[in-house]
This record gives sequence, C-alpha cells and structure tokens, in this order.
Amino acid sequence: MKTLSLYSLITLMMIAFAEKGLAADKYVEAMQKNIQTVYTSDSIPVLQQAVNAFERIGAAEKTKWEPYYYASFGYVMMSDNEKDAAKKDGYLDQAMTALNKAKEIVPNESEVVAMEGFIYMMQLAVDPASRGQRYSGLALQSFGKAVTLNPENPRALGLLAQMQFGMAQFFGSPTTEACATNAKAKEKFDAFKSENPLAPQWGKGMVEKMIEKCN
Amino acid sequence: MKTLFTILFLSLTAFTFAQTKITGTVTDNKGEPIPFANVILVDTYDGTSSDAEGRFTFTTTETGSQVLAVKFVGFNDFLQPLVLDGKPVTVDAKLQEQVNELSAVTITAGSFMASDESRRTIFRAVDIASTAGATADIAGALNTLPGTQKVGETGRLFVRGGDSNEARTFIDGMVVLDAYSPSAPNTPSRGRFLPFMFKGTSFSTGGYSSEYGQALSSALVLDSRDKAEATRTDIGILSVGGDIAHTQAWNRGSVAGKIQYTNIRPYFGLINQEIDWDVPPVSLEGVGAFRHDIGKQGMVKVYGNFTHTDYSLYNHTIDDYNVKYHYDLSNDYRYINGFYKDVLSDTWSIRGGVSYTYQRNETNVADINDIVETDKGIHVKTVFEGSLSDKIEVKTGLEVINHDYAQAFDEVSDPDFTLAFNEVITASFVEADLYASNRFVTRVGARAEYNTLMDQASIDPRLSLAYKTGEHGQVSFAYGKFRQTANNQYAKINNDLDPEKAEHFILNYQRVEDNRTFRIETYYKRYSDLVKYTDGDPLELNNDGTGYAKGIELFWRDNRSVRNLDYWVSYSFLDTERDYLDFPSAHTPAFASAHNFSLVTKYFVEKLKSQAGFTYSYTSGRPYNNPNEDKFNNGKTPYYSDLSFNVAYLPKPYLIFYFSCTNLLGRDNVFGYEYSRQLNDAGQYNSRAIRQPAPRFVFLGIFITLSKNKSINQLPTL
Repeated sequence: MKTLSLYSLITLMMIAFAEKGLAADKYVEAMQKNIQTVYTSDSIPVLQQAVNAFERIGAAEKTKWEPYYYASFGYVMMSDNEKDAAKKDGYLDQAMTALNKAKEIVPNESEVVAMEGFIYMMQLAVDPASRGQRYSGLALQSFGKAVTLNPENPRALGLLAQMQFGMAQFFGSPTTEACATNAKAKEKFDAFKSENPLAPQWGKGMVEKMIEKCN
Repeated sequence: MKTLFTILFLSLTAFTFAQTKITGTVTDNKGEPIPFANVILVDTYDGTSSDAEGRFTFTTTETGSQVLAVKFVGFNDFLQPLVLDGKPVTVDAKLQEQVNELSAVTITAGSFMASDESRRTIFRAVDIASTAGATADIAGALNTLPGTQKVGETGRLFVRGGDSNEARTFIDGMVVLDAYSPSAPNTPSRGRFLPFMFKGTSFSTGGYSSEYGQALSSALVLDSRDKAEATRTDIGILSVGGDIAHTQAWNRGSVAGKIQYTNIRPYFGLINQEIDWDVPPVSLEGVGAFRHDIGKQGMVKVYGNFTHTDYSLYNHTIDDYNVKYHYDLSNDYRYINGFYKDVLSDTWSIRGGVSYTYQRNETNVADINDIVETDKGIHVKTVFEGSLSDKIEVKTGLEVINHDYAQAFDEVSDPDFTLAFNEVITASFVEADLYASNRFVTRVGARAEYNTLMDQASIDPRLSLAYKTGEHGQVSFAYGKFRQTANNQYAKINNDLDPEKAEHFILNYQRVEDNRTFRIETYYKRYSDLVKYTDGDPLELNNDGTGYAKGIELFWRDNRSVRNLDYWVSYSFLDTERDYLDFPSAHTPAFASAHNFSLVTKYFVEKLKSQAGFTYSYTSGRPYNNPNEDKFNNGKTPYYSDLSFNVAYLPKPYLIFYFSCTNLLGRDNVFGYEYSRQLNDAGQYNSRAIRQPAPRFVFLGIFITLSKNKSINQLPTL
C-alpha cells in the first residue's frame, strides 16, 4: 500500500511537472508566433488577428504582462498603418487600454513605461499643432521614467532620441543631444540580453536609421 | 499497479485527442457582419478572429462546460455557455452596440466646445490664445464665433440679442461675478481670466444644461487645467509691463504662482490716445493655483486671483471741450475657487466646490462724489453624475448662491446714502441623457430655484435632442427656459423685481469630416419680464418689458485643404427687438447688429519657425438714439471693420517673440454717439462720436521659459 501511494505520488508529480513545462512552452510558443506577426505585418486585419490572439492569451494568463504589452504594440502598428485621424486615435486609445492592463501587473517594468511614452508620441503625431505641448511633455516624462527604471533598456533610450530629434528639427536647433542619446541607445541594443524569451526586441532599426541621419 | 498507470495514461491521451469544432458568425443587431472580432474560449488559449465576412471556425481540445466570449470594440461582450463533448458546435453571436462616449451622438445645439484633450471638438483651447485681434482675451476670441455680436466699445460678450450681463462665466462649474476688468468709459475691458489657465472651454449660446442657472443668453464654462506635468519658470517681458510665473510639480500635485504688472503709461506716452488720461491704468495681479491628486482618481484644485487696478482721467463735456471733470477709479478684485472631484463607484462620480468673489470699486467724480460699490458672491455646489444603465446617464446636483451687492454714495448733500440688495438662491437640478442608440439621444432636465429676494420658487424645464444623420452629420434641437435676477443696477433700486426670463428654441445641423467642419444653426428666443421704467422714470421699475431675438448662423472651419493653414469663417444674422427700460415701444437695442462676419486664419511657416495669423471682422451698423429726432433709436452707425495681425516667432524652443497689431488698415470705427443733456442755442442737442481709444493697439512681448527639459515654451498660452 505504501509503495503504491509513493508510486502514484511520483507519477502524479511527473504528470504535474510535465503539464507545467508543457504550459510554459505553450505560452512562449503561442506568444512568439504572434510577436513575429506584429513585428513584421503592415496589414491592419492581420495585426488585428494577432492582437486578438494576445488578448486571448492575456485573459487566460492573468499574471503575464507580455500579452497586453504586445497587444498594445500591435494597436500602435495598426494606427501607424491607418490614414484617417479619428481611426488612428481609436487604435491608440485601444493601445493605451491594453497597456494599462500590463501596467496593473507590472507597474514598474521599464518596457511598459517606454511603450506608454511611445503611445503618447504617436498621439502627438496625429495633431502636433494642438497636442504638441502637452503630449511632448507626457512622452518625455515616460521615456525618462523608463530609463530610470532600467538604464539598460535600449528602446527607452531610442524612443527618447526620436523625440529629441523631432523637437530639435521642429525648432531648428542642433540635434547633438538627440544623436548622443541615440548613440547610447545603439550601445545598449548591442549589449541587450534578457533571460525572458519574450523580451521585446524591436527598435534597433529605428536607432540605426537615426545614426545615418546623425552622421 | 500497472492497470492504474495505464488508466491514467489512457485518460490523459483521451483528453488530448477529444477535439471539438466550433463555428459561427458574428453580426451586429442589424445583421451586418463584424469582421475581426475576438472569439475566445474563456480561460483557455483557444479561439480565433472572425473573418472579413464575420465567420469563424476553430477547434479545441477542452471538454465539459466552457464559456465562449465574442468581443469587439464598441459592442458589449457576447457570452455563451457551451458543453464541449467532441460534437461540432455552432454559435451565432449577435453583438449589441455599446453606447459609448466615442461613437455616440452629442448635443451640439447652441454649444461650442473647446478642448485640447477631447478630439471631437471643433474649437480648441489653444485657438483662443492664438487668434489675431483677440489679444489673448477669451471674449475677444469667442467674438469670432457665430452667435456673438461685436460691441467694440465694451470688449464684452453679447450673445444673440442679449446684453453682456446675460452671458455668465463659470469656472469649474462655479459662478464668477464681475468677470471683466474695469475699463475707462467707452473703452473695451478685458476678461479677468487668462486663456492659458484653461484646458477646455464650453461656450453655449443657448439651450444649455440645467446645471447652469442665472444666465439668460449664454453660459461660458471654463475648465481649469489639471496638475502641471513639469516644474518650470516663465518670464514675460511685455510692451505694457511684465510677468513672472513659477510652477512646481511633483508626483501627485503641483503648485503655481504668477505675478503680473501692467502699466500702460509708457505705451500711451508713445501713441496718442483719444482719452485724456490723468493716470493711465496700472494694475498688479497675483494668481495662484494648487492641484493635488486624491486617491486613485480624485483631485482637488484651488485657484485664487487678486487684482488691484487704479487709473484716473478727465471727462470733457460734449458741449464744451474746455469743461472737464476728473474721474478716478480704484478697483480691488478677489476670486477664490476650490474644486473637488472623485469617483464613488464604477458608475458614479461626485464633484463640487466653493467659489468666492469680492469686488470693491471706488469711483470719484469731480473730486466730490465718492461712490463705493461692493459686490460679493459665495457659491457652493455638489453634483453627482452616473449611469443608471449603459443607455441612461444622469446628472443631479444642489447649489446655493449668496449674492450681496451694495452701492454707497458719499455725497456732500446726502451722506451715507446706500442702495443694496441681498439674495440667496437655492437651486437643485436634474438631467438625464437617454440614448435610444448611438445615433439618437434625448436630454431632459429641469432646474428648481428658490430666491429669497423676491421670495419666489420656480421650475425651469430643459430639453435637447440629437440625431446622427450619417457617419459625419447630425441634427440637434434644444429648448429651455431661463431666468436671471435683474442686473445689479436695477435690483438695487427695486428689491422686489421679478427675475427676467427667456425661452430658447434652437435647431442645429453640424457636419464634421476629417478636419473640416460645417455648422448651421437657427434660433428663436423670447424674452419676458424684462425690467422697464414706469412712465419713463428710472427709479420706478416694473417687469413689463418683453422682447425677442431670432437669427441664423453659419460656421465653416477647414485645416486640411491647404498645408499648414487653419482658418474659420463665421456669419451671424440677428433680428431682435425689445420693449424695455426707457424704450417707448419695441425697438432694436443699441448693442444689437444685424450682420456679423469673421474670418480667422492661422498659418504656420515652417522655415521661419513662426506662426502668423490674420483676423478680419465685420459688424453692420448699430442703432443709436438721436434726441434731435422724433423717432426713437432711429440713427444707424457706420459699419465696423477690423483687420488684425499677430505673429509668434520661436528662435529657440524656450524663447518666443510675439507681436500683434489690431486694425492694420487704421479704420476710424464709430460705435455710437453721445448727446448733451442740454439744448444748444440752435435748439439741438450737441453730439459726440464714440470712437476707438486709438486706431491701433500694438503689442510686443518676449516670453522665456526655464525648465529642465528645454523644449517647453509659452506658445500655447499666447
């Protein structure tokens, strides 16, 4: 009897471990498939399907911030591929709603805070004349906070550089500061390593493009 | 032993391979397919998106009781319990449209909303500051919108045949008394509140919410800015003075202070003025604002404004320029406003506040007559807002206004003669927005008031409807009954006067499409119980006055057609007559003009880092009364016109040079005529034209902003 219960216990534990390992793999696998889509697609319907998938995963995995982070990123990409200003705003609102869910799970994740700044930056771009002042302040604040939370986050630095560059161009002032931030972002990109297989990877292209502009 | 393992293993594999196929369609309540809706088997990874025709198919290995959810933005979630046992399942999801702020119709009759945050407004807070000719004055900018009649010699808002007292200002929902700075007789006054303090403006030319009472023609509702985002110091060096402001921001709050000194003396030394100043206006103004977050979504705001103004001048008599009287004015003004808002539950919120206005105005005429006027107001208000369901939104509140006015004459002949009144108005209001769908809304409301002055209780109904005719267009209608205590100068003489009353009927069509707005509005307004002189005696007042105003107004705004150019055109036609005060019968009052036209342009010159703007305004001639004629109000002034220019140049992100000039063409505008009270030798009354104090007003300013990030500037505040 004793042996039986020990044996069954081991079996059950084995099954439990297998299930857990299986679940973790299932999560990473499901995420990775859709992350590729939001990184590469420029079709709004395709992006919407990936975003839907992230929201399904997010609803099932209540402790994970990555699904909502990527859903938010997907919405930003949808907005980027949309021409109508009102629809752009609509997608950006949804990006913010999704990001807020991520923020509730990890309020101090540098990547999430940087994404918040990215959304503000996109909102600014819809109507710079009337939103410039307020949204540039909000975006800069978020990027600053993201860098403080994790000075190694290359995206926070890269986005900050974008913002600085845009403002320098707008006011016709030198882009020295923006280019310095961008160079730093490049360094961090080259050194970026994360144990999280789902860590954000995007943004290097944007930094490399600016390096060309800076030279 | 082995058997147990086998059973376990087999049941495990059985689980793995029992698949159920779920198919279906997603449609809205009209049966139109909804593409790309999210189809979710709740708490699993399984699900899919509907395709372009609203169809979906997916398989799941889950078994037993599950819930299928279908979600799409703008619709309520669709939920359906399923039992999965391997047999195919079909679900046809019919999604109910959500009534939500973003897509629902809004009531636009009579209302011009300006906000930098909301995207559906057709007028922005920043527009007020950057309109040429408005000289950063709120009333000046609103005068370029339809529904207003320009009365150049006052600088105040006159709306749809109403006089300037009929337009009331509210800050964060709280009443403001004496919203204009004092000015010399027949010269334009400026609003006391600078546009940069506000993130949003709602300018209503009629049919406004039951939340706002004691205004016959117009409610100007200003929403003050929230917590500041960044610490900064602003310095302004102006051709007529200077100001310095500092804002300290922290995580949960901010505090800001500003001191402004205005001295127009050096300017008047350079440019000849019509007015014979003894001491031109000098004013010192202090403004303070404190904001703090409370809890998760609550906020407290405190705002205070303290101003002291002095000036004196010589009034020359109409008959003989060499006969003149000294006129001396000293004005103290304080306004304090405390505002609070918080969330009570998921669906209900509360806001409220206290405001206190104090004004003391001392005038001394010919160094003999000293008149001291004090006006005090306290306003306390609480408002609850919430939803009864997703289709019914309710607003209800209670307020008390205590208004105390006194005018004391210290004359040689009759010392200590005072005219005064005190009223306490207790009001409650309720308003419900009933959405039949996202396309159709009905707003019903009522306002109950009890006024101690005339010991009278009243109920005034309000009704508005709005219907979306298509994706971009909508029609709305508004009706309302409004009342307002007779103006200070009459109520002080007769404390028993009834409130004056007006009824508004407004029909509006508006079309907004991708940065182009077209608006047409027509209205009829009926006045009753207006103050009237009994047998022409200004000390015997009754409520027998009546009147009407009707008109049609057009507005067009376009900032798409030409790159970097934003412009709007407005036109108002007004037909109004009233029989009130000393009028012998119904006549058009002197402040009313039949045609008002404005063209406002703003152009951003990227290469020069500058924004330049022109404003052209036209107002047709206004009636005036010539006592040398038998007919009352039979004279007509020439038309008014003005072309103004402004430019802001930003050489550095934190530095702005600003220049503005009114009346570029130097037109000699005549606003009316004053007449002598005595007959001259020829048996006529001598007259004098009321003109602009100077043909042009030129303003130059340098604005510097010091902040940690050097990109912040004062552009939005100019």
